[in-house]
Amino acid sequence: MDLLTASHSGYPRIGGSPDEQVLRHTIAQRERGEKTDADVRAAEDHLVLLALQDQEEADLGIVTDGLIRWNDPISYLAAKLEGVRFGGLHRYFDTNFYFRRPVVYGKLVRPRPLVLDELQWAAEKSVRPVKAVLTGPCTLARLLLHEGERRNLASLIFSYAEALSAEVADLAAAGACTIQIDEPCLVKYSSDLPLACEPLALIAARKGNTEVGLATYFGDTSPLYSKLQELPFDTLVFDFTYSQNLRQVIEAEGVPRRSDSGCSTDGTRNSKIKPS
Amino acid sequence: MKSRADFARGKISAEHLKDAEKRATEFWIRRQDELGLDVLVDGEMYRSDMVAYFAEHLSGLEQGGLVRSYGNRYFHKPIIVREVKWTGPITVEWWYYAQRLTAKPVKGIVTGPYTMMDWSFNEFYPTRRDACLALAVEVRKEVEALGRAGCKIIQIDEPAVSARPEELQLAIEAMEVVTADLRAYFVTHICYGDFESIYPGILDLAVDNFDLEMSNSGLDMLRLFSKNHLTKDISYGVVDVHTHLIEDRSVVEQRLKKGLDILPVEDVWVDPDCGLKTRKIDEAEAKLERVVSAARALRGA
Repeated sequence: MDLLTASHSGYPRIGGSPDEQVLRHTIAQRERGEKTDADVRAAEDHLVLLALQDQEEADLGIVTDGLIRWNDPISYLAAKLEGVRFGGLHRYFDTNFYFRRPVVYGKLVRPRPLVLDELQWAAEKSVRPVKAVLTGPCTLARLLLHEGERRNLASLIFSYAEALSAEVADLAAAGACTIQIDEPCLVKYSSDLPLACEPLALIAARKGNTEVGLATYFGDTSPLYSKLQELPFDTLVFDFTYSQNLRQVIEAEGVPRRSDSGCSTDGTRNSKIKPS
Repeated sequence: MKSRADFARGKISAEHLKDAEKRATEFWIRRQDELGLDVLVDGEMYRSDMVAYFAEHLSGLEQGGLVRSYGNRYFHKPIIVREVKWTGPITVEWWYYAQRLTAKPVKGIVTGPYTMMDWSFNEFYPTRRDACLALAVEVRKEVEALGRAGCKIIQIDEPAVSARPEELQLAIEAMEVVTADLRAYFVTHICYGDFESIYPGILDLAVDNFDLEMSNSGLDMLRLFSKNHLTKDISYGVVDVHTHLIEDRSVVEQRLKKGLDILPVEDVWVDPDCGLKTRKIDEAEAKLERVVSAARALRGA
């Protein structure tokens, strides 16, 4: 059995050293009119390189660009879609972090790729395979607001899944080694799973030879374990720190036959470093 | 902000920083007075962040690394490493300084125990409940100190209270620890969460007034209040504090009018959605002016 190590998705956009605070300062300077968008882009590049270097030094098998360019997993991707404007602040799950909530006012359209450019840039700079990360259709649909007519969750999930399937196809064509679809809302709103199956299959169908994974977190995945196996993903990424019973469930139901399994073993809700 | 940055770089002394904070406090007390607000705040010029500030002044907490709260804003997330203890007044001197500058009442403002617990790493207490209730006992001591100093209106900020609806009873229990049998008018500020998930249960919180971000959430909460009567007074946010946009007076008045269609006027305080610390001075002044202008327009209506 191969035991791969990988970064999950996001990485801090800030650290204790001045070098690690360059993005924060550059954004603040842009707000004051002292720096440009190009300066912010350069600061993001710098932090992406630091994140890649950090992960390489930690000897991870698969890395990410740290999602350094993302303001948050919701508004960053939504801002690249047509049919969206931005509303008030909203808390991101049970964290102390807030994001500006997208409001859908028309058909969701992906006029251009969402993360393709940044993934290619990171892949060129990295000696390790770089995983692409995309927020999944259920999570985005749950955290968007629907303007005007009555909210139709199923149609919103499907609409965003169409945009994501095109993104997955572009990433696969560009040679992405692996793509991760993040769906924390599938755990929080497990009743959405029947609505999600077809849209998620639509996304997975465009992956070509690229491996596509589904990640759940911020909640206990164990009640969904067997149903998630039926989805057409190569990898399932589980958050074991939230799922106290997941190990027992896997022991009882068996490891996935078709899928690899991604296991998150280190919680991010404390500052302790576990002994190796 | 510049003085705080200069202090962090060792360019000015702690005394210079405090002088700058006092000047800024005086400026904002004068401006609130001039603009015509009825209840003032000290502006929290001496605080870097609502949780980190109290963590710095309670024993048992250490400063953690920077984590993001919103956009490009970060705070040092505290770590509870030992038993939490209040070692002496934290905000009282600042409240007293501000109150001496005006004849109008100045609100005392402290961060509530549930938010302190939720926005810190707990690496000492066995459970979140243990941490929260221990903090409640210590926060109460600060509230008592404000009361002894003469503060009659005390706001307990609890923005995290809607983060985990399943812990609402814990938040209610903790607030009871903080305010029980104390003689003050208590306000709690709740913002930017899923208020629907904790309403009407949140009405059991032992305070007199809910300070709510009505504008940011598009007045959605009015729908809840029309179904289940709000049994508290309300500090009704009529301007969005997280946008550079200065709302038209007519927009602000309209927001307030919609509220008064449902809420008894005698229960309503009019204020901004949340603190104005993220706004530039001219933006903060303009937004406060809109608050006063809307209240005056409707008083005269």
